[in-house]
Amino acid sequence: MVRRLAIPFGKEQGATLMVWLVALGITVLFLWLLSDVIWQGGQAINGAFLTQAPIKAGLEGGIAPILVSTGLVLGVCMGVSLPLGLGTALFLTEFSPQRSHQAIRLSLDILAGVPSIVFGLFGNAFFSKVLGLGFSILSGGLTLACMVLPILIRSIQVGLVNVPHEYRQAAAALGLSRLGTLKTLILPAALPGIAVGILLGIGRAIAETAALIFTSGYVDRMPTSLLDSGRVLSIHIFDLAMNIPGGEQNAYGTALVLVILLIVINTLVSWFAERFRQSKLQIL
Amino acid sequence: MSGRAIAGAFLGLSLGLQACSSLQASSSGSAPQKLVITGSSTVAPVASEIAKRYEAQNPQVRIDVQTGGSSRGIADIRQQVADIGMVSRAAKPEDQGLNFHTIAKDGVVVIVHRDNPIQRLTRQQITDIYTDKLNNWQDAGGKSQAITVVNKAEGRSTLEVFTKHFQLKSSQIKADVVIGDNEQGIKTVAGNPLAIGYVSVGAAKVNVEQGTPIKVLPLEGVQATPQTVQDGSFPLSRPLNLVTQGPLNPQQQKFIDFAQSSQVKDIVQEQSLVPVQE
Repeated sequence: MVRRLAIPFGKEQGATLMVWLVALGITVLFLWLLSDVIWQGGQAINGAFLTQAPIKAGLEGGIAPILVSTGLVLGVCMGVSLPLGLGTALFLTEFSPQRSHQAIRLSLDILAGVPSIVFGLFGNAFFSKVLGLGFSILSGGLTLACMVLPILIRSIQVGLVNVPHEYRQAAAALGLSRLGTLKTLILPAALPGIAVGILLGIGRAIAETAALIFTSGYVDRMPTSLLDSGRVLSIHIFDLAMNIPGGEQNAYGTALVLVILLIVINTLVSWFAERFRQSKLQIL
Repeated sequence: MSGRAIAGAFLGLSLGLQACSSLQASSSGSAPQKLVITGSSTVAPVASEIAKRYEAQNPQVRIDVQTGGSSRGIADIRQQVADIGMVSRAAKPEDQGLNFHTIAKDGVVVIVHRDNPIQRLTRQQITDIYTDKLNNWQDAGGKSQAITVVNKAEGRSTLEVFTKHFQLKSSQIKADVVIGDNEQGIKTVAGNPLAIGYVSVGAAKVNVEQGTPIKVLPLEGVQATPQTVQDGSFPLSRPLNLVTQGPLNPQQQKFIDFAQSSQVKDIVQEQSLVPVQE
């Protein structure tokens, strides 16, 4: 304490100022980006934009089938990756011997860094061709599931590791079964970590273009089953911005919908995770 | 261990789903005929719109249009993964055995402001302007003022057509303004008497008719009109093709005939392309 006070006042202030400026810079950058999307896309969005099918390659009409396809792809992705990710993370932290961790952790980290187009080509070769799912929401969702699994597993793992070891010892001392301990104590306590994993996974999945162009595809018809090809929001934005003359306005509109969707999902997941944790663990 | 478990789970799940899907397909007697079209991202929006109109007239047919680039269109046709490919260039010698069916043309014109006294530019002059070797209008026969070079953003198909024709690399181009779409390019040139830019022929025609203060320059002595683009005499253009291999089956034939018929002319024009349909 005495030492800190001994630092010349000006120097201390300078450092504080710099930290503040950096934080301010990041916030300004984000707000700039957000206001640009809102400014340019705000005019495009109205009730019809959200409920109509695209007309004239997206120059007119709306994005209703694209919203539905995005929801379905995301649903398949999270529906498959969440149980698998949770199971793998539980196995790694709670049940497996410590020695095997290094190798698994390393391979997960490498997988998490693989560019999404590689997953896209893999998905196209494996799900679309080998398994014969073709261009479909299902093969898109499964490809995304492969892509988000490593992120999901690593974040859930961190959440589980952060649960104090005393909890497990206390539960064991009380004679609780391993499964009981997991259900009533460890999982609720690890919920913030799990929520972060879900958020990162959804964030990566919903913004994905490269992995989906060869798997879920480009068709902008309203999907009638998971085996239909369906265009997601990010591909629609890319197509409007790059391939459709005069499509900029609706590209911004779609981007704004995507950003709003992401904010809503983030808020909901955080809120549910917090509520669930509190209802399970009043003591925390 | 866990990796194998995951792979196993995936395989099981997918196989199960696949079984369901094939069951579903066989149980419903009159399954819709499905036509898969893949390839060029420039052709895809037009093909997709044509396909929608075709589906409306033929409710038993379902057409899925997928993108991925011209080379993918060729590859998918060669491997017979797709029924029809889309390619945004003319046929090359290595495309032998494939049939090209042109459905539209994509022409690019060089434009300046209406008040610019320049009437024509040679191929060399345009190359020099875009590589910044020539940067004053005086050297091209105009007033002594600096040239504002307007270029397209990376990835645009008009940029590809332009650089390919003038044998430029996009890294060689020294632009003062980089724009996204045709409308933006026209606005930029219309608002700056010293600017030079290039836009798609369809967009330029509409704007000249509306009285936007731009001037379309002829290229190598040929005026840029939808007609000269259509008949191929205007040099800065490329065909947008549907591609097939071998003899056409009735379904392919019917769709290609439809895509080349006057029934889809308005769709082609909406996308700022030049129709080849009569």
